[in-house]
Amino acid sequence: MAEVRLTGVSKSFGKTVAIRDVDLAVADGEFVVLLGPTGAGKTTTLRTVAGLERPETGTVHIGGKDVTRSAPAERDVAFVFQQYSLYPHLTVFENMAFPLRSPARRVPEDRITERVGQVAEMLRIDHKLANKATRLSGGEMQRVAIGRALVRDPSIFLMDEPLSSLDAKLRAGLRVELKRIQYELGATILYVTHDQIEAMTLATRVGVLNQGRLVQIGTPKQIYEDPDDIYVAGRLGSPRINLVPAGVIAVPAPPGTATVGLRTEHVEIGRDGTPATIDRIEHLGDQSRAHMTVAGTPFTVLVDAHTDLAPGDSVGLSPRAPLFFDAAGTRIRA
Amino acid sequence: MAGPSVADRIADRAAAATPMTVVRTVRGLTDRAIAWIFVAPTIFLLLAINIFPLIWTINLSFTNYRANRLTRPAEYIGLRNYERLLTDPDIWHNMQVTAHFVLWTLFFQVVIGFALAWLINRQFKGHGFWTTIIVLPMMLSPAVVGNFWTFLYQPQIGLFNYVISFFTGVDPSSFDMIGSVALAPWSIVIVDTWMWTPFVMLICLAGLRSIPESIYEAAEIDRASPWRQFWTITVPMVLPFLMLAVLFRGIENFKMFDLVVELTSGGPGSVTELASINLKREAFEKWRTGYASAYAIILFVTVFGLANIYVKALNKVKER
Ligand SMILES: Nc1ncnc2c1ncn2[C@@H]1O[C@H](COP(=O)(O)OP(=O)(O)OP(=O)(O)O)[C@@H](O)[C@H]1O
Ligand SMILES: [Mg+2]
Repeated sequence: MAEVRLTGVSKSFGKTVAIRDVDLAVADGEFVVLLGPTGAGKTTTLRTVAGLERPETGTVHIGGKDVTRSAPAERDVAFVFQQYSLYPHLTVFENMAFPLRSPARRVPEDRITERVGQVAEMLRIDHKLANKATRLSGGEMQRVAIGRALVRDPSIFLMDEPLSSLDAKLRAGLRVELKRIQYELGATILYVTHDQIEAMTLATRVGVLNQGRLVQIGTPKQIYEDPDDIYVAGRLGSPRINLVPAGVIAVPAPPGTATVGLRTEHVEIGRDGTPATIDRIEHLGDQSRAHMTVAGTPFTVLVDAHTDLAPGDSVGLSPRAPLFFDAAGTRIRA
Repeated sequence: MAGPSVADRIADRAAAATPMTVVRTVRGLTDRAIAWIFVAPTIFLLLAINIFPLIWTINLSFTNYRANRLTRPAEYIGLRNYERLLTDPDIWHNMQVTAHFVLWTLFFQVVIGFALAWLINRQFKGHGFWTTIIVLPMMLSPAVVGNFWTFLYQPQIGLFNYVISFFTGVDPSSFDMIGSVALAPWSIVIVDTWMWTPFVMLICLAGLRSIPESIYEAAEIDRASPWRQFWTITVPMVLPFLMLAVLFRGIENFKMFDLVVELTSGGPGSVTELASINLKREAFEKWRTGYASAYAIILFVTVFGLANIYVKALNKVKER
């Protein structure tokens, strides 16, 4: 395992700039999750670390060594591809054994069998080892792809949405498993996902990518509670943060504020405060959501599961911990 | 969409022009009957052109019929033709010549065809131009190819002899590819390889193009050397395509006739007399029609049997 550092990395495809000027350091043993919408450059970032893309500018260091110009094989990374990229003519076992069979590694055959068996069992694909890689369900293929990475002991694991095709139960199980692997082996992991629960539960740090830029990186808590801009604030949190124009909600705002962000759990419903009328109540079992319209903007507040609020009720909103953003979307810290 | 399409309008007019009696008859037919009406002409032609002659040949193979003596009635002589054929040492000689030709042409075409496909697949500059050049021989008529290679093989003025002498220093007029007993079997192998390697190359190229780049990327990440990538990914994934090319070329060359007739006419002596050339002599020079029919049936069964075994193997490879 090793530390990985990207410095000022940019990569374009023709006219599309996939990533621009990305600085990212993943410390040894750290679990960094990249979050971002589709096309943000997450895959491109991973591929640049792996050496499958050559950046136009910037450098890549793995374990303190400059590998910007090195071939993928020299970097010793493990990659779980978004499209799995299994070897279609090989069995599940052979797919997972493939990296271990590298002559550079000289792993004895009984050790290979043992290692593949262990990993397959952990991923619950041990009964499919003799199957051809093409005769599997999407979720099984994805687990084989994860397995092919996990049999190794690389300098870093690069995982591109590795749990996206799995059902909720398996996904939760593997999340725990991955966290355990990272904890026990001290594995360095750079991980891409769309799923914010994955990001929040797995990451030591979360990096938010948007349009090729690394907008903010920090612990999940920092990203959630102290976002640098309006995009990051909107990225995390479910239901989504309320973003209302300045002046709609009665809060003392610093000069230059264009938008006020209010997390749904940071609004108290009572008699006082900004008046609003409840449109709809959603009961989700462990919580309820009150939907309303405030000065023409939809607004959601998290309320008690057994709330007796009803549509049509007139209430007052008193916010706490508001976030202020200027016209460009940058956070204004009071 | 504005108004009915041209096709619709034509269909409407055709419908309007159909006499009512015909309309009623057609409407009364089941889907199955209509299907039969459509395939019937094809089935009829197949029967007339393929199946009937085959059955007739089988029939003739049990007789002593001679096509140049139409008046003499043919007598059934049972399995006598087959008996004579299978014990005739000349036939075994022709079979060996054929086997030599088929096996060596397949070997060279596979090796060279695959190598060329592999090079072209690397997308070097001008690969499109080179593909066209390489594919040209395949598009020529075998008769033309045979004819102009007789010139290339000329000991005194032939380009082939000149090129060989350029690289080896052997005197160009000291050997005659077509005239020499030792070299003639190789001369036909060389020409067929020249002509048909492009075919094998094209099929291999299709196979190579079917391997997604991402698989090589995965292999690269898994630290497989280019050598190992070649043997564990490229070769196994192209193999089904390659085997198909071998099947096509194998069947074609087992029946090879025109190119070799044009080039050597089976000579010198009978060292390049392939089974099909020998068969033609029996049928249309010696006019032993019944005997030649039995010969044809034996060749047919041989190709058919070998091809069947081979296709089974091919399916195994595909399933792997
Ligand atoms: N090989 C390529 N050729 C051309 N453009 C590319 C290529 N790969 C990526 N791009 C472009 O670069 C941008 C970033 O792509 P990337 O694959 O990194 O996105 P992503 O964040 O992984 O998205 P997703 O969540 O959909 O996987 C996109 O606009 C994409 O169209
Ligand atoms: Mg991606």
